[in-house]
Amino acid sequence: MMADPTQILLLEDEVMILMDLDMTAEDLGCAVHTATSAQKALNILDQHGTNIDVAVLDVSLGQDQTCFPVARQLDDLGIPYILHSGDLDRHNERIRQLDAELIAKPAPADHVIAAALAKAVC
Amino acid sequence: MNSDDPYNPRGGDQARLSFDDAPDRFRVGNAQEHFSGASGVLFEQAMAQTRMAICLCDPHQPDLPIVFANRAFRVLTGYSEEEVIGRNCRFLQGPKTASEPVARIREAVAREDVVVVEMLNYRKNGTTFWNALHLGPIYNDQGELIYFFGSQWDVSDVRAAREEGRQAKEMARELSHRMKNMFAVISGIVNVTGRVRGIQSETDEINSRIQALGRAYETTLDNASSGNIDVGEAIRAVLDPYDQDGARLTLQGNGTKMPFGTISIVGLILHELAANATKHGAWVNGQGSISVEWGLSPSGDDLVISWTETGGPNIDPSSIEDGTGSAIVNRMLRAGSGSIDRTWSEDGLKVVLTIPVGKQ
Repeated sequence: MMADPTQILLLEDEVMILMDLDMTAEDLGCAVHTATSAQKALNILDQHGTNIDVAVLDVSLGQDQTCFPVARQLDDLGIPYILHSGDLDRHNERIRQLDAELIAKPAPADHVIAAALAKAVC
Repeated sequence: MNSDDPYNPRGGDQARLSFDDAPDRFRVGNAQEHFSGASGVLFEQAMAQTRMAICLCDPHQPDLPIVFANRAFRVLTGYSEEEVIGRNCRFLQGPKTASEPVARIREAVAREDVVVVEMLNYRKNGTTFWNALHLGPIYNDQGELIYFFGSQWDVSDVRAAREEGRQAKEMARELSHRMKNMFAVISGIVNVTGRVRGIQSETDEINSRIQALGRAYETTLDNASSGNIDVGEAIRAVLDPYDQDGARLTLQGNGTKMPFGTISIVGLILHELAANATKHGAWVNGQGSISVEWGLSPSGDDLVISWTETGGPNIDPSSIEDGTGSAIVNRMLRAGSGSIDRTWSEDGLKVVLTIPVGKQ
């Protein structure tokens, strides 16, 4: 029996970057869920719950939004995630509390997805 | 400038003070054992001449009144001696003075402790200044508390500069964030195009160059205002991803500056050299290492970067010269009136890059 594909959640407010990650993850055989806002990501988590294996979270989502609520929800569900951000200096205290690998932008998309998949394989 | 001019409490007054007899009068009117002999004269001179506003308060009277204030204190605050003596220091506070430093002063007084706070104070004429207040107990030979000592310094300018610096830093961070994001978006566009058009190996190559450039530019933000940037930081940023174990790369150079416009050439050429070393040179077999040194030429007209590979496999020069990377390097240097000199020895490739930067 074929193993189910890894289900990956990608949260990124910049569409070009999201598309790049999306295509890369697809090429690597993942089933991809994409979200451009924290709310959309939370909706996906409501719908799919622990079927999601791993997530990549952009930290700053525009309009002073961050990925923090999504990260907390993932923590509650026990789903691993990595952070993907160009804004390394300015993260507020709450973001710094998150215990997750951080990949600095710009990074090659395959590098980001590979790092995420490494978390999914426990 | 001979009077305590309350209408010109700032200016250069804190720096140039004329004769002040307040210390003398204070000494005469106070217990001899505290301020006698040589130390008394020293006290008098120091208090009269210092640009630091100083006051003494008496902890043995109710509400800790000021019993002495030197001229600098009167000049800073705009109050005359009669208006100051006998009052608690809090008359310098006003509606916008924060309560936190005041509370810290109160605690320090209660514990007979030393404290330094910055607080907003008010002059007699209602104008405000940021006061760096240093407060501490003074004991006599028997170890008994006799005074509290307060020194005031107007740090309004320092505060303003600090605030300006903070804003500049915030701006640089925002700029840095946006720039990184822009490079990431460009990367995304190139990648997506490559996938859609089925030319992914080509777009991967383009992307690795874009990313090297992004790393080089990132280092320019700290000294963006000066026009010149630190070569070493840019070199380090470009080559950093290639030096994963920290043992394959040695970087050596002084704080050489280069004009902002040179950054793309330096960044891209070093990226090509590093990519080549990974494919054909010292970094192929995990044994070799690369040393990069840089500095200005003796004339100061050129930035000279030498790239020396050692310990790699024997190199076939033709395999490198035919690469697109080398063609790009050659063309870029030709356009920028620079030069590249490649020599192969048994040890490996040695490259000397010369890039004109003009007199600095």
